[in-house]
Amino acid sequence: MELLSDMKPDRKAVPLSTLFPGERGKIISLGHGAGIQRHLRTMGLMEGKIITVIAAQPARGPFVIGVEGTQIAIGRGMVRRILIQKI
Amino acid sequence: MKKISLMGCPNVGKSVVFSRLTGVNVISSNYPGTTVDFTKGNTRIGGEKFELIDVPGTYSLEPTSKAEEVALYMLQEGDIVIDVVDATHLERNLYLTLEIIGRKKPTIVALNLWDETKHLGIDIDVEKLEKLLDVPVVPTCAIAGEGIKELASKVGDAKPSKTIEPMSEGERWLKIGEIIKEVQVVHHRHHTIWERIADTTVKPVTGIPIAILTILLTFLFIIVIGNWIIEHLMDPIFYNYYGPWIVGAVNSFSPEGLLHDILIGKSTVESLDFMQSFGLLTTGLYVPFDMVLPFVITFYFMLSLLEDVGYLPRLAVLVDTGLHKLGLHGSAIVPTILGFGCNVPGALATRIMETEKQRFIAATLMAIAVPCMAQSAMIFGILGRYGMKWIIIVYCTLLVLYILLGILLKKIVKGESPELLLEVPSYRKPDPLTLLKKTWTKAYGFLAEAVPFVILGVFIVNLLYVFGVIDVLSTVFSPVLTTLIGLPEGAIVALIMGFLRKDIAIGMLLPLDMSPQQLTISCIILATYFPCIATFVVMLRELGIRDMLKAAGLMIVISLTVGIIMRLILIGI
Repeated sequence: MELLSDMKPDRKAVPLSTLFPGERGKIISLGHGAGIQRHLRTMGLMEGKIITVIAAQPARGPFVIGVEGTQIAIGRGMVRRILIQKI
Repeated sequence: MKKISLMGCPNVGKSVVFSRLTGVNVISSNYPGTTVDFTKGNTRIGGEKFELIDVPGTYSLEPTSKAEEVALYMLQEGDIVIDVVDATHLERNLYLTLEIIGRKKPTIVALNLWDETKHLGIDIDVEKLEKLLDVPVVPTCAIAGEGIKELASKVGDAKPSKTIEPMSEGERWLKIGEIIKEVQVVHHRHHTIWERIADTTVKPVTGIPIAILTILLTFLFIIVIGNWIIEHLMDPIFYNYYGPWIVGAVNSFSPEGLLHDILIGKSTVESLDFMQSFGLLTTGLYVPFDMVLPFVITFYFMLSLLEDVGYLPRLAVLVDTGLHKLGLHGSAIVPTILGFGCNVPGALATRIMETEKQRFIAATLMAIAVPCMAQSAMIFGILGRYGMKWIIIVYCTLLVLYILLGILLKKIVKGESPELLLEVPSYRKPDPLTLLKKTWTKAYGFLAEAVPFVILGVFIVNLLYVFGVIDVLSTVFSPVLTTLIGLPEGAIVALIMGFLRKDIAIGMLLPLDMSPQQLTISCIILATYFPCIATFVVMLRELGIRDMLKAAGLMIVISLTVGIIMRLILIGI
């Protein structure tokens, strides 16, 4: 994929919550207990996938993120623990 | 008879496959988790009879909610599994598939939504996938009925896989990676204009105004169309045709006396009063058919429309922050909205919440502060004549109660309140036939449930009056009712009837000659003090006896408190 090649290798992993709507990133780690990690992966949120932030609800509300044509609404607490590399 | 379990992730069109296979049209819905109540059907394949079980959608066999626990249990029950896979999201769907196949159940895989893979530029090599999984794989497009025959014909070929062994989670993802690499090619595709428009409904700046507008338009539609049906269809039928006929018919064999009064009350042809006569064949039919049914139909039409289009998960996203303050999360909007139709499906839908704490809060708040359509129709019917002001007071009081009680319950109920994690499916064009069928099924469900109970209620009230029980009860309860809440003694009958059904209970307030203030207080108390018998039974089953007792205690305390407060505000001391 051409998108991966644009990434600088020294980019640091940041929490997904630091992204603004419209920004994209590659998932580095899901950072939860095994149960939630599995649930996130079966919904399509896997390490290595490219995600787009579609919306962020105000007052620490949930994010809506797009991953390979699926949209997933996910609470801010979980969003904070997912680490990504900005693209 | 052999059992076939139909399994798959949420939103893969599993219910449509089910209805295609059984011929019985089972409702399929866009909201993740609404098929919690599983459905069974019989089907004949190649001369053999099978029982087909529509298992609730689940992402994996390690359950995260009550619905998914049911799924695991039902997999173990079945002899053959049809695993319905969303072909447009093969990778993540394969996780469940590998789990099922790894359990060595005879399995067939249906690659559903096959037609959409072409629009999305996804190529899947079915033969190779079949070889890798070592079970039959059939592309289907259930909505159009394509591939269903072939799927059925392969049921005999279902077999345990020799290539897929039980494995750990990590191994499974690696295996999925290998499979995807071999069978799937995705061509690059841009975000379409429609997807951009769809996104505006979840962005807060545009999404919140759109949500408010949608809800307002929904209520406006329900009220305007509901009233139109009453004025132009139901009232003419009841007043011009049914009324004179039934009074004449009953008079012909029983012109007066007990039987006459129980059947049609004191009605005569000249003074036909469907509300106050309280006969089995007058009020008993008028309330469910004329006053309530038109609103029930319009409500379920709008709800099914919002559901099928796929709007509800977006609403869940937008209200999530607010519901968090009440110990819930966005998904709780679904049981709440269902509760506005009828508290029974509302209470059942609380199963989509992950923890016991959330289920308790969602069910209790709904039972106390969400009036069902039958109740709302009657509140509009009897308070509307005094002006919108009183109706607004009732609903605002209930809303304030919902919020305050939620904040309180969040603090005092032990347990976890996890966050929202929900798939937001793409918008879909609703199928008009499915929409009408769904509306009809639910309206019919209302009639089947309501009419017997309303008639039973009217009958009991008649007996209570005949045997003078009402007078005794009125005297016993008058200190509470009259002194504390400011209602006439007679209101006790309505409160007792409220245990059975709320619509008929509100109807009973009418003959008591109450002021609008008293009517308003009565409506609020009737809404909050206890659920109707049907809701009570379902809540008991869902919450268990201990939590139900807690909820019931809360209801009584709250309705008394609110009654007293409203009396002080509206009537004074």
